Amino acid sequence: MAHVAPEIFNGLILGAFFAVVAIGLSLIMNLTGTINLAHGSFMTLAGYLAFAMVSAGTNWWFALAAAPILTVIVGVAVERTLIRPLYRRDPVYSLLLTFGLSLIAEEVYRLIWGTNGVPFSPPPSLQGSVSLGFTDFPAFRLFIAGALLVIIVALVVFLQRTRLGLRLRAAVQDSEMIAALGTNTQLLYMLNFGLGILIAGVAGVLAAGLLGLNPQSGNALLMPAFVTVIVGGMGSLLGAVAGGLLIGVAISVTTLFLPAFSEIVMYILMAVILLIRPRGLFGEEGIFG
Amino acid sequence: MSDGKVDRKSFLTTAAITSAGLVTGFPAILPSRAFAADTLKVGLNYEYTGVYASYAQSETRGALMAMDAWNARGGVMGGTKVETVQEDNNNNPGTAVEKARKLILVDKCPVQMGSISSAVSLSTSGACNALNVFYIASGGHADAVTGEKCEYSTFRTCHSTWMETHATGYSLVEKFGKKWYMIIPDYAFGHALQTGYHDVAKYTGINFVGEDLTPLGTTDFSPYLTKVLAAKPDLLIVLVQGDDFVNCLKQVHQYGLAGKLPVGGPQVELEAVWALPEEARVGFWGVEWYYKGASVIGNNNKLANDFIAAYRKKYGTPPTARSAFGYITMDRMLWAINQAKSTNAEKMAKALENAHFNSLFEGGGYYRGVDHQLMWPMWVASIRAKGTPHDQYDIFDVVDRREADFIEQKAAEKEKVCHFNWPT
Repeated sequence: MAHVAPEIFNGLILGAFFAVVAIGLSLIMNLTGTINLAHGSFMTLAGYLAFAMVSAGTNWWFALAAAPILTVIVGVAVERTLIRPLYRRDPVYSLLLTFGLSLIAEEVYRLIWGTNGVPFSPPPSLQGSVSLGFTDFPAFRLFIAGALLVIIVALVVFLQRTRLGLRLRAAVQDSEMIAALGTNTQLLYMLNFGLGILIAGVAGVLAAGLLGLNPQSGNALLMPAFVTVIVGGMGSLLGAVAGGLLIGVAISVTTLFLPAFSEIVMYILMAVILLIRPRGLFGEEGIFG
Repeated sequence: MSDGKVDRKSFLTTAAITSAGLVTGFPAILPSRAFAADTLKVGLNYEYTGVYASYAQSETRGALMAMDAWNARGGVMGGTKVETVQEDNNNNPGTAVEKARKLILVDKCPVQMGSISSAVSLSTSGACNALNVFYIASGGHADAVTGEKCEYSTFRTCHSTWMETHATGYSLVEKFGKKWYMIIPDYAFGHALQTGYHDVAKYTGINFVGEDLTPLGTTDFSPYLTKVLAAKPDLLIVLVQGDDFVNCLKQVHQYGLAGKLPVGGPQVELEAVWALPEEARVGFWGVEWYYKGASVIGNNNKLANDFIAAYRKKYGTPPTARSAFGYITMDRMLWAINQAKSTNAEKMAKALENAHFNSLFEGGGYYRGVDHQLMWPMWVASIRAKGTPHDQYDIFDVVDRREADFIEQKAAEKEKVCHFNWPT
């Protein structure tokens, strides 16, 4: 039982990853109806861009900031040219498009960086471990926990306390109405997509340092993120956070006692929650209410 | 849904479709070599996507180099050129069976080679045997391939898990101690390695203080590493491979384990170690082939030296053990066709059984008649964090060589479990 406390802490960090990726997915999905299956590919792209910068001698911290921004530029270009024409169509169209994009992206990464994974480390200042009293914990994991917390809080503040955040929430409720009131909804869609990709980009660079970096690595976090959206409830920021943390802890603790079930525990959790509360934990009409 | 909004029902439906896609895997977009009617087509059934993709690429590169060498000499059976048809089995045993049947029935490949995963090797072996098609398992290590599930039409190039564990087990006990903790991939390969080390334990007194089975594709190893820290073993044995190996070793470093206890195992792959940051490159491991060292390739092995030089020139990196598996497999397969003057599985098998040959390693080897396992040595090496000033890829210090006869089960033992059902 002595292992449980550190594992719950580990699970919270893993869950925060799922939550952040799920929030990015939710942002894009709730406003434009796009189920972005290429989300994991954008995470991978950010990881590779950071790797390329660090390999070229750039400071790791600069890469952490710059790689997600470059990924946003690519993401917005994709949104404007490929996804935008599908906004008023059935979501299956954008689902198929982003599915195809993820396949193409994977092959492009293979062509550029090779099939083999590439070495990407956190900076020396984040290597080693820190004593938490009940356990020694890797410094990089603690940094990730802090960074993810900052992202989530910043997003809440942005959506709840800024005019742009207000417009985004209003657009989810009724995009035609706010267009009639003079808001440029296309610009809003683009900014929203870019914000989702920015979050994915930061998570992608952090995940590359924590785990491995290869052409498929981003997709490993995509499926749990989808489950997080369902468990937490569509349209709820709080739900994404709670769902992610719940799944992360469930996976970590199950791994400790029943490793063979660690892969399916999130699906069992999803099934149970959907049976009890079909909308998910915090699901409601609208978004981020 | 027509207004572009996603409701709960439609999201769940699409999520279910997505889940199915992610679980079953996405098909890879792969080049297939064009072929003419008067060529011999060799089917390559590999994991071109998934955690073993880099190994599949290395084996394919090696195989293509062997094929090119045969074609440069005029082809097989008096002038028939050889070409490949490559299929991605997505690291899925079921998909591998479908791809094996497609290669045979649609693409008309009379012979086949692959794969990386033991589970895939086993399913492909069965699928090929059902159609009496000759198959060489180039890279799936589980004992069963040349053990209880052996087939007359199947041969294996890489080492068996028995060979890997018995080549390394005694050295690891001697060097580090008897209190072991094992992290094991939860499928045929991992189970077979676990069995192998349990056999070594009978003679050495190894005390397993922890044995965790991890699902293939595990990204977070922290729960296991927390338990390892608490168990305080003499040695952490890492049996996971591919991307799982990279994730595990990275996290071993992050948790400071590498500084507290030694790490090792029966098998390490250059592809995986190259993907590790320098600080995470640690351990004492079994090595199946290396591109340097007199004990591995010999002092004047022209074939090996030419292969290594040509490979580096063509692909920019030195060949790995996987590249060697691919080369040896394709070379022996074409030799067997040439020798049998046929692609008939039975004739090829008879030609290849117990036929000694010299190849990329010192001393030569042969596919043993009793089980069709390639009998060749293994090596033990420690990893260096950095390459040499002249070669950034040179990160193994090969310290020992283990001969095949001493690390594989005796023929009499294999006769008890491996029974070929010859067609005649």
